[in-house]
Amino acid sequence: MRKYFAKSVAVSAAALLALTVSACGSEREGTTPSGGSSGGATGGFAADSLIGVALPAKTSENWVLAGDLFTKGLADAGFKADVQYAGASTTVADQQNQITAMTTKQAKVIIIGATDAAQLSAQVDAAHAAGAVVIAYDRLIKGTANVDYYVAFDNFKVGELQAQALLEGMKAKKPAGPYTIELFSGSSDDNNSGVFFDGAMSVLQPLIDSKEIVVGSGQTAVNQTATDGWKAENAQRRMDALLTSTYTGDKTLDGVLSPNDTLARAIITSIKGAGKPIPVVTGQDSEVESVKSIMAGEQYSTINKDTRNLVKASIDMAKALQQGQTPQVNDTKSYNNGVKVVPSYLLPPVIVTKANAAEAYANDPTLSALTK
Amino acid sequence: MSRFKDLQKNLFGGTTSNARQFGMIFALVAIVLFFQVWTEGLTLSSGNLIAVVSQYSYILILAIGMLMVIVAGHIDLSVGSVAAFTGIVVAKLMQDHSIHWFLALLIGLGVGALVGAWQGFWVAYVGVPAFIVTLAGMLLFRGANQWVGKSQSIAVPEGFQTIGGGFLDDIGPNTNFNNPTLLLGFAVCVAVIVREWQLRRTRTRMHADPTPLWVAAIRVGVLIAVILFATFRFAGGRVGTSFPISGIILGVLVVAYSFYTRNTAAGRHIYAVGGNSRAAELSGVKLQRVNFMVMMNMGVLAALAGMIFVARSRASGPQDGIGWELDAIAAVFIGGAAVSGGLGTVSGSIVGGLVMAILNNGLILKGIGADSIQMIKGIVLLLAVALDVYNKRQGRFSVIGSITKGFRGSGPSTPSEPPAQKVQTPVVG
Repeated sequence: MRKYFAKSVAVSAAALLALTVSACGSEREGTTPSGGSSGGATGGFAADSLIGVALPAKTSENWVLAGDLFTKGLADAGFKADVQYAGASTTVADQQNQITAMTTKQAKVIIIGATDAAQLSAQVDAAHAAGAVVIAYDRLIKGTANVDYYVAFDNFKVGELQAQALLEGMKAKKPAGPYTIELFSGSSDDNNSGVFFDGAMSVLQPLIDSKEIVVGSGQTAVNQTATDGWKAENAQRRMDALLTSTYTGDKTLDGVLSPNDTLARAIITSIKGAGKPIPVVTGQDSEVESVKSIMAGEQYSTINKDTRNLVKASIDMAKALQQGQTPQVNDTKSYNNGVKVVPSYLLPPVIVTKANAAEAYANDPTLSALTK
Repeated sequence: MSRFKDLQKNLFGGTTSNARQFGMIFALVAIVLFFQVWTEGLTLSSGNLIAVVSQYSYILILAIGMLMVIVAGHIDLSVGSVAAFTGIVVAKLMQDHSIHWFLALLIGLGVGALVGAWQGFWVAYVGVPAFIVTLAGMLLFRGANQWVGKSQSIAVPEGFQTIGGGFLDDIGPNTNFNNPTLLLGFAVCVAVIVREWQLRRTRTRMHADPTPLWVAAIRVGVLIAVILFATFRFAGGRVGTSFPISGIILGVLVVAYSFYTRNTAAGRHIYAVGGNSRAAELSGVKLQRVNFMVMMNMGVLAALAGMIFVARSRASGPQDGIGWELDAIAAVFIGGAAVSGGLGTVSGSIVGGLVMAILNNGLILKGIGADSIQMIKGIVLLLAVALDVYNKRQGRFSVIGSITKGFRGSGPSTPSEPPAQKVQTPVVG
């Protein structure tokens, strides 16, 4: 026993020393940051390289679908894919850790759907310094010069389309104004929320000024209309409060600007709960439940931003980079992240109402079945 | 077998109260080696070690404060919100009033102290249970964070970023390693040797059993091997990175608080209060002051953790700090603290925190999803504490059992009694 023990101690001590000696190898290569300037497209990389994809928490169907499409699409393209979601409660820290892990695993391209636009810049810098190309997916990352590309739908246009649909819907129900509406915007830590809202207000503000549209509660500032974390419960709670404070008695609500489908359904739930007629409610994302709701005549509109196209555009960028080419972009002016203008590839959004749903979802097996 | 006992008893400088920690250190080593193999060497690579330290230092800092709170028999659920509140206040101050970052840091610690004092007042002087006070604090300061920051992310200037995202500079001759990190590592090695030598001298002077020389040699040898290994790894990372500043802050705090809780009267009072508050009070411990100081201290450390996170993220955001209290509490309990207070050590909590950190990091490296990781962490927490409870019931090696045994007569196990922590004794010394 003694002998055995002494031996095992000696062996483990020797093993530790061996580890120490092997540790003397340094990961430093010369004195310049390795690959520090390879952010563009020089030379490409191996066809079976690792491509990291860091997505936010699974709070909407869209992100779940995107993750599945990335996993499949990247594998089909011959890459090794590492697709990660942030946890439901610790989103920012999770994403930071996941991006760092992808950097450690020497991913060549890291595609990020950011949960917080401002809190990932350190990890993006580190990834870039380690030689990875960083693509911001759907949400721009702010405060760093090391975001290489941005792939998204034209979000300002989304806001405009939502506002136009809201107006059309209300006119169809009630030919003459003034119309009473309420405004909802997304989570204020998501860079897109402001862009959607600005787009919508570019259409609505002139009408508010000319009194053709009245915001019943008077709440028009972004911080009043924001929905923390894009959470349905927060939107529902605010709508409940608005109904109690503003729409008691026979005062009617004609329309609600909702930035996405999850919130739209929460708003409709709240209004139904209060026993009021459902106003015109906009949406975005073409979620299954909302498409059903539109076909049933409850929610008025949604936006079709086909996730397939967005994921495909991102994977095409990775393919171009792999072959050493410069990925295609179509906007080099609009998206300034506070440090630089990020070269962007923008896809056009499509507005969908009950009238054009069958046509809009013709390519989507799940959604087209709902429109019949 | 006696040699094994010698080793178990002496390797990490403690006796029975370190038994659980001893187990945890082996668990930590096992987890590290497991992931090192599973991730094909990524776990112990320079880049990853550096990332782990900067990712988890703020949680470990919280665990230090939480350990003291839990030892005193309380709990603090508000740390995440307090951290987020401090973060946004400091970020706002620097953005709107262009206050120098170092001054902002001090103000942040002051805010933490005030928040802690507020909670300490309710706990110690009004007598509201800490669970309730800090549950209220969790809501209060989360709301305050969103109110001050208008639910938006606010960037912090570069100087401030060093406390969370900074590294030791590259200075001196080009050795292909980061020189300050090397020096730091060597200094720690020297400190380990000096301390071991001092301990031996003290024991000899007090005519206590001296640690067998071979055990001492292994202990120092293993520690130095580990430190040297870590030193070369941290010093050999990508140029521009080295040992994180936040890791140095953590190291200083661990040493200082270990000394405070182990070797000072005020520190021992916390254990006395947590073990048996009435007995402690009758022995002249100022109960209210101890409780107040413990809560206030937690506030300061939460503020520091929040600022380090903000510095690392380069911005303060509305989602900061969510769930941190759970990570800190888990670290403390995995590290061997008792739910009812009076038991636990700073170093144990750090080891507990590191177990969770390496587990988390290794699973992320393997591309396991955040949902599965949460489930695995939950199971690990449950099992770690259940194992101790089980061992105690079986009359085997257990922290709680080994201390309460003397007070309950001769029976090694009393199965009819409800399990766990019913019998409380002050653990002083």
